[in-house]
Amino acid sequence: MTAQLKRKVGIISCSGEEICEGTVSRVATRLVLEKLCADRTVTLCLPLFLAGGQDERSFAKNYPTVAVDGCGKLCAAKATATYSAEPAAQVVVTEVAKRFPDLKADTRRNLGEAGMELAYRVAEEIAARVDELLSREAEVPQDATPAQGTQAGACSCQGGGVPTKEILVAGAPVEVVGLQPILARFHAADAPETELKAQILKMAKIYNYVPPEQESAYAEALWREFVSYRADGDANG
Amino acid sequence: MSEETKVMVIPCSGIGKAFGSIGREASYIAVEELRPGQTDTVCLSLLVMGDEETRDRVRGHPCISVDGCPTGCARKNIELAGGKIARALRVIDTYRQHHELKPVQVTELDEAGQRLAGLLAEEIAKQVDAVIQEVQ
Repeated sequence: MTAQLKRKVGIISCSGEEICEGTVSRVATRLVLEKLCADRTVTLCLPLFLAGGQDERSFAKNYPTVAVDGCGKLCAAKATATYSAEPAAQVVVTEVAKRFPDLKADTRRNLGEAGMELAYRVAEEIAARVDELLSREAEVPQDATPAQGTQAGACSCQGGGVPTKEILVAGAPVEVVGLQPILARFHAADAPETELKAQILKMAKIYNYVPPEQESAYAEALWREFVSYRADGDANG
Repeated sequence: MSEETKVMVIPCSGIGKAFGSIGREASYIAVEELRPGQTDTVCLSLLVMGDEETRDRVRGHPCISVDGCPTGCARKNIELAGGKIARALRVIDTYRQHHELKPVQVTELDEAGQRLAGLLAEEIAKQVDAVIQEVQ
């Protein structure tokens, strides 16, 4: 029996200290975490990518991630891509601000009324990206839920563990998040091999970064795991 | 005062807990109100990404890191960028001296958070003075 997966989206904010837009990115991110998408989002401090360990660096592999940057230097997006995995979506404060020329922050420390209004607009933009990501197909058993028990707005580093398994993709060991529950979902499926392969890959991609050029290798590796999983299940009754 | 003796005050700006916001606020108070002209700050995220101009600024000045939690992201990233840590301050140490102040809110600091930020800002300013004395 399967339960509806309660998925979460990761939000990474640049929080740039030197500029007003950095504060806007930070406040907008907190508004999303606390108000707009409280039960659907988690965050990670960007500097933790370098200062932290492997758990922090697998953040964007465990969660589809929205990078929120203050300016065109795109530190959050680039850091996420460099140290974890390509973000699923990006929001840039200066780009959003172009649509609202009257909303200018007072200072980097105190945004003021107009700056807070801009932060709300940016937060709405982030929330829209979160909704888009969550609207993609997802239904896997509950025990695949990333970071179960993580409180709204908490860092992922405070969350629970995510079930992972190492498999061989084109001969190289790769950790796949949520593999067993994903395979369990398709255990009794009655569909042609090519269709099942595609569905398993699609589901795995929700929780794992799959480089586009390796999609077919991943599909084959996941299929091998699935065949083995189904054979074991049949043998055990 | 010369540009070279300016002290860089760099907070972690941790986003998951109130301590990150307190460190950021304390740094702004120190840089903008208590020691303007003697201090400056940089985007930690730019430093993390290896921006050359930001690295040069950090390498050319004594740095005070202001971290929210014991993970020490600001301190570690300054060191990784080749910066010299003159002082490593932590919000949690200020909190330990003032357990009566329990901050809760992250986005907009509550009264306890504001008071902790003010206390930490005073400590930053004190350490800025000491660092400037040391390098002169």
